[in-house]
Amino acid sequence: MFPEVTLVPPTREDVHRLSGWLKDSDVSDVWFGVGKNGKPLHATYNPDDVLAGGPEDWNQVFNDDNKSIFSVYDGHGQHIGEGQLLIEWPLLEAQAHLLIGCKDMWHNHYGTSALIGLLDHAFGPLGLHRVWVAVPEYNEPGMTMVKHLGFVLEGRLRKTHPKNDEWYDSSILGLLAEEYPRRRARLTETTVG
Amino acid sequence: MPVITINGPIGCGSVTIGQMVAEQMGLSFVDRLVFTEASRIIGTPVGTLIAKEQRVDRFRDRLGRFVQTMLERSAMSGVSGEPYFGRGIENLPPETYMDLTGESGVGGKVDDKTFIDAMTQVVTDIHKKGDAVIIGRGANQILADASQTLHVGLLAPLEVRVETLMSREHFERDEAEIHVIELERAREDFVKKFWKVHPNDPQHYHMILNMGKMSPKTAAEVIVHAAGDLL
Repeated sequence: MFPEVTLVPPTREDVHRLSGWLKDSDVSDVWFGVGKNGKPLHATYNPDDVLAGGPEDWNQVFNDDNKSIFSVYDGHGQHIGEGQLLIEWPLLEAQAHLLIGCKDMWHNHYGTSALIGLLDHAFGPLGLHRVWVAVPEYNEPGMTMVKHLGFVLEGRLRKTHPKNDEWYDSSILGLLAEEYPRRRARLTETTVG
Repeated sequence: MPVITINGPIGCGSVTIGQMVAEQMGLSFVDRLVFTEASRIIGTPVGTLIAKEQRVDRFRDRLGRFVQTMLERSAMSGVSGEPYFGRGIENLPPETYMDLTGESGVGGKVDDKTFIDAMTQVVTDIHKKGDAVIIGRGANQILADASQTLHVGLLAPLEVRVETLMSREHFERDEAEIHVIELERAREDFVKKFWKVHPNDPQHYHMILNMGKMSPKTAAEVIVHAAGDLL
């Protein structure tokens, strides 16, 4: 079985921890790398800017109808990562981002559990039709995970993902609402050690 | 700047072979992304477009259309229906019952012109950029006369395609057979509807490979070799 995780709204402490994780090159190397200023990049927002800003900045990021951002906690109540759904309502679809920032938890299927949680939310309460991910070529564990979850390779685009002043291939994988129940059932039947 | 299109019925291995060719030649690989990009142009969920390609016009759909048509005719004329004076079931309109009621898939209806214009724009843009393998979606028809383009068709016996689907999607045999047959019919309907040709007609390809007689690896090598003429 997959490990237990819960997805909850982020707190300031969570964002502070996320900022710390991103400063670890092991983490930022599999994520978005660093910007021209040498600071680590994150999806959608800059954690340090949000922490330095006021309630309005916070609300723009975490209380936006076009985004669902969650902190990922393990079964023991430890904060281990962050999941995001960036929603395009006219298309009824969302791009999913998932970062397990706590390195101790890597390769233990916490990412898979968290992504299942995001997908349940996307195809359940949000009523979306498609969830997609863009996986850069250097994130092989990420690719294995989303394929295992049943995401379908929709395309692999050459040199479209920037990181640290270099361009990498990026694979787009999608999952449709009608595909998900069958694949989720098959997945949860699989025992993973 | 080569562009290679690979078309074949489900279970022929188009995706596997397409990925191998893209990998070996350093090309982009484009499969369902054609639909997702077209859905952005139109501003509608991708399921609406996939339904255009994968709609299977089953007997119950045709029956539904028949009943619907009769009911509408009755409603318009204000009398109870007399179906036998109307057109016969063989002359029913090409829309399905879901089309007629405006419930064709997620997000409503997309008319054929909007659909094909968007698909053409996406595929033409990919061709302009070049260096890509495109799987299906009528790309060989859209790019029929385009330069530096290789069109490859795939065929395979039903049994091979059923086995592929059983292994890939974990279908039972009868489920896989139904899926293969229905999607093949949907593919034929799709290509005939928009381009008035049969998808397996060899004159629309540079070559057709029988996947019942060769491995995906061999097929990919043959395609890479043939694409050498485009470079």
